[in-house]
Amino acid sequence: MILRFEGVSYSYPGVDTPALDGLDLTVHPGESVLVAGASGSGKSTFCRACIGLVPHFHHGRLAGRVLVDGLDTRQHPVCELFRHAGLVFQNPDAQLFNQTVEAELTYGLESLGLAPSEIEKRLVWASKLAELDSLMGRPPHTLSGGEKQRVALGAILTLRPRLLLLDEPFTHLDPEGTEALRRILRTMKSEGITLIIVEHRLHEIIDDVDRIIVLHQGKIVAEGSPHQVLAGEISTYGLNLPPLLRLFRAFGLNRTVFNVDEAIEELKTQNLLGPFSIRLSEQMTNPSKAFTATPHPIVEAEDIWFNYEGLSVLRGVHLTLQKGECVALLGRNGAGKTTLIKHFNGLLKPHRGLLRILGRDTRRTPVSELSRHVGFVWQNPNDQLFRPTVREEVLTSPKIFRSYDPVWCDELFNRFGLLPLLDRSPFSLSEGQKKRVSFAAALAAKPDLIVLDEPTAGQDELFRRELTGFISQLQKKGCTVVLVTHDLEFAAEHANRWLVLSEGQMIADGPPDGVMADSTAMIKAGLRPTQRFRLTQAIKHLGEEN
Amino acid sequence: MKRSTFDPRSKLIVASVATVLLMIFNHWSSLAASLGILAVIVFFLHLGRPYLNFLKNLGFAGLTFFIIAYLAFDLITGIVSGLRLLTIGTAFFLFFQTTSPGMLSNGLLKMGLPYPFAFVLSASMQFVPVLIRRARNIRDAQRARGIPIEGGLGTLLHLPALAGPLLIQAFTFADELAEAMEARGFGISGRSFHYELRFTWMDWMAVAISFTAFTIALSIQFF
Repeated sequence: MILRFEGVSYSYPGVDTPALDGLDLTVHPGESVLVAGASGSGKSTFCRACIGLVPHFHHGRLAGRVLVDGLDTRQHPVCELFRHAGLVFQNPDAQLFNQTVEAELTYGLESLGLAPSEIEKRLVWASKLAELDSLMGRPPHTLSGGEKQRVALGAILTLRPRLLLLDEPFTHLDPEGTEALRRILRTMKSEGITLIIVEHRLHEIIDDVDRIIVLHQGKIVAEGSPHQVLAGEISTYGLNLPPLLRLFRAFGLNRTVFNVDEAIEELKTQNLLGPFSIRLSEQMTNPSKAFTATPHPIVEAEDIWFNYEGLSVLRGVHLTLQKGECVALLGRNGAGKTTLIKHFNGLLKPHRGLLRILGRDTRRTPVSELSRHVGFVWQNPNDQLFRPTVREEVLTSPKIFRSYDPVWCDELFNRFGLLPLLDRSPFSLSEGQKKRVSFAAALAAKPDLIVLDEPTAGQDELFRRELTGFISQLQKKGCTVVLVTHDLEFAAEHANRWLVLSEGQMIADGPPDGVMADSTAMIKAGLRPTQRFRLTQAIKHLGEEN
Repeated sequence: MKRSTFDPRSKLIVASVATVLLMIFNHWSSLAASLGILAVIVFFLHLGRPYLNFLKNLGFAGLTFFIIAYLAFDLITGIVSGLRLLTIGTAFFLFFQTTSPGMLSNGLLKMGLPYPFAFVLSASMQFVPVLIRRARNIRDAQRARGIPIEGGLGTLLHLPALAGPLLIQAFTFADELAEAMEARGFGISGRSFHYELRFTWMDWMAVAISFTAFTIALSIQFF
């Protein structure tokens, strides 16, 4: 065995509620294990306990025993354990602290005091495995999110740990980055490295793991093979179940399927291909997602161009957003999505072309005026929190714009579950609570357009469900919603229109299924159709064959 | 970053000796000659373009020094002050353009500086761009809420909206960083180096030449 927890309970200093509560588990060499659970279920604490950061770095109260590669973590400091077990942390920025990728990869080896020839050997091996050969001389801070994640992985791999842990590795990755990481993880598994992956977006990795452990309030509540665990009743644990499994459950089918092939096989066995196909078609024309264009354009972009450091980041973008639309803006990292949304409130002005927000030319309208009509919920809520209480934080914009509506603000406090938190400092909240505060703060001034930047990144299923209801409510009120996301499953469920950016150009614009059917645009933008779409296509293909 | 054949320790010694020398020189012709020599080195190392960018900032500081000294004393003192700043700045421009923070920290370690100090020195350079990026994100997030921090007095009046999130993030970042460093063996004794520094005959020559030049310059200056 490579890892063993024996009755492990742990509480952080000054906190009574245990983060881990009586864990017993064993992981065998070469296994790959997915640890799933809602936010605050103890996943990250579990990772830290595996490499000795709990208790050596965080202190607190640890009961029971954690054995890593036979070493009791209580008896051995982190500096002895790190060659046996390595952890790739959630935030890649905070674990890259050297001047070049090469220095990043060799740091741990230098710590071990290895000879230069051995360092070189391991460097070559790890850089090849993590696909980093072309990045070796680059400063880490200039890399994309996916590249940083691979560097962080490579830096741990050079140590050749027998156990490798990854804490929510897919959170900041675009579909291509996700696929690249999955490929690397498969190679690592084939090399015999034991993998523990912490994630609540199960479908990203479920096909590649041997076992799932579900944590809830610090306890193991389910454990077994992916099919065993997901066949059980686990909906209350805040897991983002694989889309096809949710689809099957919604159709009243109990079989546990993870991919299109399994789903087709099962439908064939039960002779349900026809009825299933009809229900899928009905869902595609679901009136709740239908949108009728109104003569009230909120955003009108005509041939907008924007350059940054000599590069054209936006190239001739044309776009019209109508009142009450829900639009998903998609594309790989660096495609120009953030640049485009920053034009919506004048944070950036087009170098060429014309952009009007509610009829106002953004080049002639100050940000303070445009932001009265355009609200932003940024990916990182910590970028905006600075007031002493949650109440003041939410009411910042309404007070600046003199648009305070007590009834609306009370509704927001209630809607986002902020009533018990109003007098607390925003800094003392959990990340999920901070996200709710940032939503309420963006909406408090009653914007006509709301931009949600990666709203589901790092969020559990409970939050996704709330977000779902909330987006519908906003649309009913006539608010235009722009979702900037890599989560295509979420985008397909909620947006009535997809806009696809690639290298600064809008290469597709239409309903989700229409865009997914455009394979040229999808490939060019590094996107992969959703599982539901692929299933629909597969069923259609089978029908044509017969 | 230019790769250099010299050990960072020898370069540090040469730059330090040059600084002392440039502080001692009090005649404009000695300083102008020194600047000429440094400019030739910049030219031979093909660092012309970054040097011109560097001069945009340093030139302004040099001009300010010149004006203050000219107004407070006389024209010659103004020229000497401006030139002194330019020459010392150019010497350190050459040092940092040919020495990566990592190599500098390795050099300092070899000179006996404790590892945590050497690390802080190189890491502080590494994290400046990261914190600048975060500050930009915070500024954009606050402007998007209607807080007028577009520059000037507005920024000063609303400083907490910018400084608050930045400080909190910096503290959190420092915590996460400390954890990640601990997990990669920070501070274990017996650290090795991927590229082992070697003080070669060229380094000894550079040090010898700089001390000889120092002695000659002193004797010309004072005797």
